This record gives sequence, structure tokens and C-alpha cells, in this order.
Amino acid sequence: MYKTTNSRVKPTLGLAAAALSVLLLAGCGGAGAAPAAVDLGSGPAVAGTVKKDALKGVNLTFVSYGGLYQDGQTAAAVTPFGKESGARILADGPTEYSKIKAQVESSNVTWDVVDTGSYWAAGQCGTELQPLDYTIIDKSKVPAGLAGKCSVPAMQYANVFVYNKDKYKDAPTSWKDFFDTKKYPGKRAIDGTENIEGGIIEGALLADGVPKDKLYPLDLKRAFKKLDTIKDSLVYWTTGAQAQQMLESKEVDMAVVWSGRAFGAVKNGAPFEPVWNASVVVMDTLTVPKNAKNPKASMALINYYLGKEQQEKLTEETSYSPVNVEAKPKLDAVGKKFLITDPAVASKTMVCNFDWWGKNYTNVAEQWVAWVAK
Amino acid sequence: MKHAAPTRTLLALYTAMVAFVLIAPTVVVIPLSFTDKASLTFPPSGWSTRWYENFFNDPAWTAAFGNSLTVALIVTVVATAAGTAAAVGVSKWSRKRMAKAAQMFLLAPIVVPSIILAIGVYAIFLRLQLLGTLPGFVLAHSVLAVPFVLVSVSAALAGFDDRLTTAAASLGADRWTTFRRVMLPLILPGVVSGALFAFVTSFDEVVLSIFIKSPYLETLPVKMYASVTRDTDPTIAAAATMIMLLTTVIIAVGLLSMRRKKIA
Amino acid sequence: MSSTLSNAVRPDDGVDPTMRPGRLRPRRDAQAPARRGRLGPALLILPALALALGIFAYPLAESMWRSIADPQPGVQNYQWFAASAANWAVLGRTLWVAFLSAVICLALAYPYAYFMTISGPRLRTALIVIVLIPFWTSLMIRSFAWIILLQDTGLANQVLSWMGLGPFHLIRNTTGILIGMVQVLLPFMVLPLYSAMKNVDLRLVQAAASLGARPIVAFTRVFVPLAMPGVVSGSLLVFIQALGFYITPALLGSPSQMLISQYIYVQVNGQLQWGRGSVLGVLLLVATLLLLGLLALLMRKSRRAAGDEGGLL
Repeated sequence: MYKTTNSRVKPTLGLAAAALSVLLLAGCGGAGAAPAAVDLGSGPAVAGTVKKDALKGVNLTFVSYGGLYQDGQTAAAVTPFGKESGARILADGPTEYSKIKAQVESSNVTWDVVDTGSYWAAGQCGTELQPLDYTIIDKSKVPAGLAGKCSVPAMQYANVFVYNKDKYKDAPTSWKDFFDTKKYPGKRAIDGTENIEGGIIEGALLADGVPKDKLYPLDLKRAFKKLDTIKDSLVYWTTGAQAQQMLESKEVDMAVVWSGRAFGAVKNGAPFEPVWNASVVVMDTLTVPKNAKNPKASMALINYYLGKEQQEKLTEETSYSPVNVEAKPKLDAVGKKFLITDPAVASKTMVCNFDWWGKNYTNVAEQWVAWVAK
Repeated sequence: MKHAAPTRTLLALYTAMVAFVLIAPTVVVIPLSFTDKASLTFPPSGWSTRWYENFFNDPAWTAAFGNSLTVALIVTVVATAAGTAAAVGVSKWSRKRMAKAAQMFLLAPIVVPSIILAIGVYAIFLRLQLLGTLPGFVLAHSVLAVPFVLVSVSAALAGFDDRLTTAAASLGADRWTTFRRVMLPLILPGVVSGALFAFVTSFDEVVLSIFIKSPYLETLPVKMYASVTRDTDPTIAAAATMIMLLTTVIIAVGLLSMRRKKIA
Repeated sequence: MSSTLSNAVRPDDGVDPTMRPGRLRPRRDAQAPARRGRLGPALLILPALALALGIFAYPLAESMWRSIADPQPGVQNYQWFAASAANWAVLGRTLWVAFLSAVICLALAYPYAYFMTISGPRLRTALIVIVLIPFWTSLMIRSFAWIILLQDTGLANQVLSWMGLGPFHLIRNTTGILIGMVQVLLPFMVLPLYSAMKNVDLRLVQAAASLGARPIVAFTRVFVPLAMPGVVSGSLLVFIQALGFYITPALLGSPSQMLISQYIYVQVNGQLQWGRGSVLGVLLLVATLLLLGLLALLMRKSRRAAGDEGGLL
């Protein structure tokens, strides 16, 4: 397009060209180039270890949901891993599935290890996510059945029903009470994002009289009808930070929140009590997107993350429950109260049907968004 | 027009209230940045500068700040050059309808809701691997900044007497010399204010930036957005206070230099 | 968008050049220089044009195209839009919120702009500066400030409780969105109103008063109609921008009070439904452009009418 240039206007175009070349040069400093090969040493993998300085010069991006949780992950596993292996680790977040999809489709994957919801991971194995190499990752200490072809658990938590104990003399004890706005008036906070997970839908059906063993497949129509009855009393949180703030400021009297956020709020003095038999256990997973630049290094990080010490520290920092059966986190009374792997809690909670959710996730999410926005 | 005293007082009170609504909200950020607690409660219960220390000790914040400055400065250069050239071109193009159409088209990016532009640019940048790169940010922000330069330089050109360039040309000056020696000095206030707009537009941009950022490169407003939605961390208040200070200084300097030029 | 659009009407130089008095002067540029090189000036536009084509027109066109091509070619995305009640709820809510923003802005800005016309030069300058300050303040900062002020334990509720009121939920609902949007959009109402009002010849109002009209009658029958173009263009400006707001509703609103721009974000980023997001984008774009066309038309009309202003009495 510069060919027709009149010689007299040239200086302007020259300037533009100079500016452009500066830009292009500067652009090259962006993402570092991936090294050709990674030597992780010989012998079987042991969770929680990595060969010293094996990943010098490697850039890895660890992606999670931010806040207390990601801070805990960073302190417990990501930063120590970087120190030991020599890798430079960047943090990003929050996890957005569209970004993973877009990165994979464009073969420009900048996320290396991604913390995702377990349903999504189950549904995307082989399409957006790559199979994990269990010669690099040691899953022998992961609770049985939780590690999948493309994912290992990142931690377990619950969508826990909590209530303000100062407000209700007669403590609520079940999902029926959550849906009973006459006996228990007041605002209830629930997750309003499109990332719906096990919890409120199951709760609505249980409150409507569906027996626990006949829950799945979930009758969505019935669940939404039940939810309609309390829509006027519902408020929605969109991030964990917001959920915690709602409890701390006592903006709501009841809520279904992530157990880690409930712990955070209670620790900061919010007068809330969990109702464990109206709580659903779910988990996050660690995954590696397809075409990630350095899969071996990514999996080395995952292997490190699953170690006993790392899991103990993670739980101590976040109160989310460990995914290493040998982990014995040291917790105070509040922390123990929200540890869902603690037998006293685990005997009451309900574990959601990951298989059903994985298969039906898109459909449920679509209906959920429409229900919230209507 | 004459007004009875009570009417006037009422009006003045109402105006004061509106003025308060316009300004007051922003001001609360400043005291909050000096709070001593890790909470966003206002008013703060005690004072400290720890959030400023936190800002400067946290590479995520300082890098975002540096990126914002770098991007905004390059955008200022690119958009001012392209926008000024376009404004001169539009005003001199003999085919007025075409020129008008070109001008309308160049102004369009600021009237289209940026979320629509953002999803489009996001898809294209993904393909071109421009996400989270300096050129990507500069290109995206420049599209939004050029219209402001165009408008403000066009306004300056409207007051420019074109016989001057004809005179210069008849005295043998080539076009570049004419532009530099005759036109530019006269339209300089328009160019400077255009450059200021370009800088602030880029420095403030959120919606497009949220889509085109990457862990390798994000700008300050993106970092602030993440902070507001994910953490309860008063560091954002410290960042906000410094941004306000910076923009105020830039505008003051810009306005002062323009005034001095006018006097001279 | 608001951060960029809020830049649209900035101080002096931000005024549409075609409205400048300089335009009235006969143009000479069509003569001598143009003869020497017809394409010269057009070439100067090229860099900006290339930028706008590549980073604006092309992405936009592709986005529109996706509404009928993703995931499969066809109109299924439009059918999806028409079939779901939630979509219509979001659309209706967006229009309603934009309408309310315009009404509230008008109610706040009208007396403000009027007061500007009757105050002395110093006070007037101060009032203009106050209107312009928000333009220079980052949108993120302002949204953040509102969160601090409006949260349940925030300053606004503290003040209200001293007055024996509240607490009110001022955030994560339509109230929060409106408060935030009105503050951002107020300048877009004040400036056109003021420029319309300052052009009203106050002698006309005095004349009406001297002919025996009561002040309120003189004001409503003479001043109000004359300032009407400012009301129309200000309201349209506010309405158009409110339609496409993203940051403010995302931070001060709630998923259950979702506006169309947030809905686009959720469809594209949360649900990976690019086609559906694009349908919403097309609707938003069409609405914006139609209203802009209307605005341009009305402004041209009022400019034409400005010539025979005196005939209105």
C-alpha cells in the first residue's frame, strides 16, 4: 500500500513504519520460548518431589480461581515447586473454560496447569484437555476413584449450607428449612455464576421430597419449580470473595457457599454454622490443556502438588480438604469444623454424582443461566 | 434572568448536591488507601502506608502499572500520528463526501459498545497470537484512541485558514515543510489535547483489555478488575489513588503547556 | 465500553468539529492544493483507516457473521433468542435500565445546567470543571468507590442509619447499577443541556414576563421548548451508552439483574456459545446504530431550526 506514495508525504509514512517496527520488536519479548527437552530424572515418580533444577528456564502458568484458595495453592505447592525445579511460574485466573477452548483451538496455549471444575474436566478429556502421564504423576496416594484420565483432584470441598446462628434460635437442620421462608425468613445467598455445581439443585429436589437414592438423574424442571418458590429471597454471589463478604457483613442470613469461604468468614468472626447433612461434596481438578507448551513440566508440577506435605499445607492455608490420604493437616477448631474429610463431617455430607454432572453439565448450565437471569 | 431569592437558593442547593454526586464518590478511595486493615471498610479504623508498600513490593502490581504506562505511551504516539494525519487528510480531501464517510467510519469505534468489539477482537487476536502481547494491546487501544485525536485535531483544523498553506506552497515550500512550519504550530493545541485523550483512553481501557490480556501481560485496570472481583485487598485503593494523581498531573501539564503556547 | 465512550465528550476540543463556527467560513481547500495531488490527502487517512478496518470493522463483521454461522450455519441462534423467556427478560431489563438512567440523569442535570446559565463566569467555570472531572477519573476507580460506599456496611448505609433509616441493599441489584451508571453518564446529559440552554435568548423569556406571564408560565412555555433539543440529544446520548454498559453492571449489579452486555459475556466466556453471544451483540449494535441515526437526524433538524429561532414566539 505504500507503493503509490508521493515522495512528499514520505516522512509521515516513515514515522509510521518506524513506530510499527518498534512495536514488532517489542512484541518478541512476550512469551518465552519453550525449551526442547526436559529431564525429570529416572525412577518412578514420587508425589511431592521434583528433580532439583530440572526445569531451569521453563515458564509455566498456573491458573486457578484466585483469593484464599489460589494463595494457598501458591504457598503450598506452586512457589516451592518453582524454587526446587528452577521453573518460573506465573499465575493467572480466574479459570475460564472459553479461554481454554480458545487457546486450544488456536494452538496458542498459554495456560499450563489449570484448576477446573471436575464435571467440565470429565466432559472435555481428549478434546480440550490432554491425558495425564501417570509415569510422571504419582497417584498412589490420591483417594480411590478421584483421579481420572485427564485430571487429578486439586482438593475436595463442599457446597455447604450455612446459617446465621444469632438470627435463628431454632437452628435449621435440612434443605427443607433452606426452602422454608415462613419458618426461616431472611435473605439466602447462592452461587449466581454460570459455573453451576452440585448443591442447590440437589437441595431443591431433596426439599421437594425426592428421596436421596432417587436423586439422579436430576429432575431439572422440578428443581427450578421449587427454586421459583424462594426466588424473592435469593441473592447471588459471583465470586468466592463476594460470598465471604456477604457472610461477614451479615448481608444474608443463610447461604450455600464453598466450604473454604465459609471457613474464611467464620474465622473472621462471622456468626455462621454449617448444616452438613444439607451439603454436597464436590471437588476441583488439576488439568493440562491439549497442546500445552510443556506438558512434562506441567505434569511435574501436578505430581509435586499431590505430595503429603503440600496437601497438608494447602489444607492448613485454605481449609479445603486434602487429596492425599496420608495428609494430616494441623488445624485449629474452626479449621477442623470445615474439614470435610474429617469423619465427623464426612459421615453426614452427600457426594454428588460426578458422572451424571459430567455428562449433563452444558445442559444444566444453560438452563441455570436462563433461570437466574429471567 | 431574574429569579426570586428562594428559587435561586433552591437551585444552588440542588446544583451543589449534583456536584457532590459527581465528585464525592471518587474521593473516598484516597483515605481508604491509607487504612491499616485488610478490609474495604470505610471509614478506616486506623492508618498506615502498608498498601503502598504492598503495591511496590508486589511484582504483579508494578508490572501491570509498567505495562499500562508502556502501552499508553506507544498508543499516544501511534494514535496521535495516525489521527492527526487522518484529520489533515479528511480536511484536505477534495471529495467531500468520501472524506465525510471516512471520518464517520474512523469515529465509529467509540460508539459501538465495547463488549461487542471485545469479543470480535478477542477471536482475531487468538488466531493471530496477539493475545497478551504489546502489539496486541497497542493495536486494540489505538483503534479506540484515534477517534479522539481525529475529533480534537479536526476541531483545530476547522479554525485553520487554508490560504496559509497555499501561500507557503507558492513560496516554494514542499508539503512536509508546510505542514511542519505552518500548519502544525497552529493546530498544536488540538494535537496536544488529542494526544492527552489518547493516553487516557489507553490507560483507562478495561473491557477490551480484559479479553486480550494474558498472564504474560496485563494492564493496571485489568489487574484492578481482577482485584475487585476476587480479593478484598486495599492495595487497589493505593493503586487508584496513584492513578488519580498521575492523570491529574498529566492533564494539568497538558493544559498549562497549551495555555503557554497560546500566550506565546 | 463506558470507559472509552465516557471520553467521547471531553473538554472544549471534544466538540464535534462540524459544529464549530469555523465551518461557516467558505472552504478553500477544495481548490489549489487538491489540484496538485488528488490522492495525497486520501493517503494521509490510510494508516488510521487500515487500523480501523483491521481491528474494528473486520472483527465486528466476523462477530456478526458468527451469529448465523456458529456452531452450524443457520438461524438457530436467532431462534434460540426468540424462544427463551430469559432473553426477552434481559433485553427488556436493559431497555428499562437505560430508560431510567436517562430519566434520572435528566432530573439531576436539568437544574444543574440551568443554574450554570444563570451563574457568573467563575462559578460557571467551576461547575463545568466539576462535570468534567469524572471524565478524567478511571471507570474502574469509580466503580470500586461505589462498592465501598454502597455495600451494606458502607458509608451510605451508615449515614442512612444515623438518620434512622435503612439498612438498604444498594448494591448487587438494579439500584446499584443505576447509581453507578447515572454518575458516569451525568456529564453526557449536562453538556448538551447546557449548550442548548446557553443559546436560548433569555430576552424572549423576559419579553413573555413583561407581557404579563407569570415566571413559571414564561419558563415552561418559552424556555423549556427552546431548550428541548438539548433534552432530546442528552437523553439519547445517555440512553445509547447505558444500553452497552459492561463494567458498572458487572461490578454493581447481580446475575439475576443481568443486562445484555453481561449476558453476552456469559454466553461467550461462560457457555462458549459464540453464536448466541453474537446474536445478542447484533441486537445491541442494531439498537445502538438506530438510536444514533435518530440522534443525528434530530440534531440536524434542530440545527436547521436554530436559524429561525426568533419565529418560535
